[in-house]
Amino acid sequence: MGGTTDLLIRMAGEAGQGVETAGNTLLGALSNTGVHVLSTQSYMSRIRGGLNWHDIRISERECFAGREQADLLVSFTDTAGEILSGSLAPGGVHLHNGSTPGSAEIVSLDAEKLATDLTGSTLAANSVMAGAVFALIGCPADGLCDYLDKTFGPKGREIADANIKCARAGHAYILQAGLQERLHAPVPSAAIVGQIWSGAAAVGLGAATAGVKFVAAYPMSPSTATFAWLAEQADRYGILVEQAEDEIAAINMVCGATYAGVPAIATTSGGGFALMAEGVSLAGMMELPAVVVIAQRPGPATGMPTRTAQQDLQFALRAGHGEFPRAIYAPGTVAQGYALMRTALQTAHRYQTPVLLLTDQFLQDMQKLVPAFAATDAPIDRCLAQDAGADYQRYRIPANGGVSPRAIPGGKARVVVDSDEHDVAGHLSEDTRDRVSQQDKRMAKFSAMQAEAIPPAYYGPADAKLLLICWGSSYGPVREAVDAVNAAGRSAAMLHAAQIWPLALDAWKPLLCGRSRICCVEGNQTGQFAALLREAGLLAQAETLLRYDGMPFTGAEIVERIGP
Amino acid sequence: MMKPLDLQKADTTPAWCPGCGNFPILKAFTGALAESGLDPDKTVLVSGIGQAAKIPHYVTPPCNIFNGLHGRALPAATGIKCANHELEVIVTSGDGDMYGEGGNHFIHAIRRNIGIKVFVHNNQVYGLTKGQASPTSDEGYVTRIQTHGVVSMPFNPLALAIVEGCSLVARTFAGDPAHLKATLLEALRHKDGFALVDILQPCVSFNKVNTYAWYKERVRPVTPEHDPYDRMQALALAFQWGDAIPIGIIFRSRRPCFESRQPVLGQGTLVVRLSEGAPRKAATGNRN
Repeated sequence: MGGTTDLLIRMAGEAGQGVETAGNTLLGALSNTGVHVLSTQSYMSRIRGGLNWHDIRISERECFAGREQADLLVSFTDTAGEILSGSLAPGGVHLHNGSTPGSAEIVSLDAEKLATDLTGSTLAANSVMAGAVFALIGCPADGLCDYLDKTFGPKGREIADANIKCARAGHAYILQAGLQERLHAPVPSAAIVGQIWSGAAAVGLGAATAGVKFVAAYPMSPSTATFAWLAEQADRYGILVEQAEDEIAAINMVCGATYAGVPAIATTSGGGFALMAEGVSLAGMMELPAVVVIAQRPGPATGMPTRTAQQDLQFALRAGHGEFPRAIYAPGTVAQGYALMRTALQTAHRYQTPVLLLTDQFLQDMQKLVPAFAATDAPIDRCLAQDAGADYQRYRIPANGGVSPRAIPGGKARVVVDSDEHDVAGHLSEDTRDRVSQQDKRMAKFSAMQAEAIPPAYYGPADAKLLLICWGSSYGPVREAVDAVNAAGRSAAMLHAAQIWPLALDAWKPLLCGRSRICCVEGNQTGQFAALLREAGLLAQAETLLRYDGMPFTGAEIVERIGP
Repeated sequence: MMKPLDLQKADTTPAWCPGCGNFPILKAFTGALAESGLDPDKTVLVSGIGQAAKIPHYVTPPCNIFNGLHGRALPAATGIKCANHELEVIVTSGDGDMYGEGGNHFIHAIRRNIGIKVFVHNNQVYGLTKGQASPTSDEGYVTRIQTHGVVSMPFNPLALAIVEGCSLVARTFAGDPAHLKATLLEALRHKDGFALVDILQPCVSFNKVNTYAWYKERVRPVTPEHDPYDRMQALALAFQWGDAIPIGIIFRSRRPCFESRQPVLGQGTLVVRLSEGAPRKAATGNRN
């Protein structure tokens, strides 16, 4: 990659062994060292056993996706070592945590034993491994120790000291074995600073800062991380978080809360969203600003609960019976998860209609060093009618567009909403004139929503002959593929959709002209976004590059599959 | 183009059959609301779908209304109460809407003990879909669908609510206006927690078994000696059906309500705090 140092550290073991925690320790420590950091996770749907890994990528330049090959494999079990040693890059190092003796290929370190010898317990074994990793990539132990001090200090001096002692011992072990700097860490830069955020947490922060005060969900991977983050932060932001009995309850609770004037969201995945479909239609009919985060995973049915997919685009687009306007956003990066969650809530309130945010396991679990989010970001405007009196009618036909003034219950206005077709006052009506005027009013919101749709983001040389179209979390791998193609002297660009619906047609059209090859890169089997672009009249024919095995794309994979 | 039909003229209110048990319930409900002193500005009537669920549209003086999906009145009411717990939230529903389609929500809303009042018009039959069995239809009840008679055990809403520690469980009868109004008023005045009133309601069009006369012969007001705080005594009453059907306040419990157990609501309603604006200090980097 153009001479820049770019290392991938793969921590692998069984579920329940603390692989994620060990990875997070390393991630936290590396995030203070002036290099770009990104991590991705691969795990099985089980509580114990299996094979999980946590990839941490450190680089001199910003990275956006994972890689298939690791430079340093840290295995916590023999099985992990056996299965993943084949994924080591040439010149890579395999560090094994265990009592098996080392070999020419494997550096062996019994972290539990070392930690027990030093501190009387295995609790700080992860710090031994972190120390060893720091030594292998040529980083001094001090940075790691500072981090451990900060992290464990609040839990007690003794715990912090034990971890620091273990980290130094792990570091010294590698030095004594003469293995230091087997790999070269990226050169730090003072300009690279920020905080580590996961996609799941960034989406949660977007909701919290936008003024969401009510969250209802039924736990479902991979959306649960956002739900859990909001629960953890609930007291700080004054949010009521309720675990609903099922997804049907969750969406109807959200409808109730938004009716009463509180910005509210539900989080779920495809299967749960299937149960919510009628509730989404209710929000369309009642004109409620309900927002649902759909963290995708492979289906059909239960599918692969802990893997990734981009399979629910067409489902999100069509879910809910009847016809009503909606907006769908799909963040491409961790930072965009924050921003688009806020946008989704604002759009929902401006147009009084349901809005969906599509993420997936890849983005939910991705952790990245990002610039701190602005602490000054204000809550969204709920767009409420403040002066509604006794003569208020919820669904009065406005002079322009379809948005009627929205009042909330508690004041002089009677706020009447109905899932049946209704008259201007909200009372159920079978009058065909009410039917047509109310249906027209609701659908009239669509053109305004389309006019302010987010245009696709173009990345790469303006005249690139090869255009890779993608949406949502494929941003990272496609961007890295584009960089690699251009670095190799060929010409490619990316066109990324962060808004799936409505499409900003006028912005799309000129960007699709003059290409010799257009390819849609998507994490599904049927090219769902390509089909939408065809339906919208934007693309007559497009090549597709698809992946649906449950794993995310990588840049190198896309480059290889594009061909020469 | 064809001139639109003026169906408004045909859309008379209410949409119920002459003699329907919903009429006395509407009258008692309106009377109890007035007597309870509830402020219509701060009252939301929530319902799902069915003939009982239309009641909010007919109540005077008019209140705020959320007439949602079939079976989903309770979660919508829960969301409203969470957003603004100073609102009085009253659910009107039928046996199909509440005990069938909404059964799961019924189980869990009572567990939460959230402060909403739930009035179930229980006529043991599906009216709006024209005469199929409901979750409370008696065994052997024959319909055009259950042609050999209902084989499932009837759902016992009172017993379930008691087992779950519901804070107020009552039963009344649409054919006894004084008892009906008094019971609804008791529920409206109930503080802190979930109040269930199961209202025995004859369906004159589709239920030819459980008629006004059938109920009148059987309903028995609970005696003054009954201690509603005695769970086992209450359960015994809940299991009485057939020759004698108890009506009145069956059970009470002293569980704290859901709202009182949410620290975040201790600082005021969510909706009011929101209009105060400014978020609190933003979170710092968090690895999750």
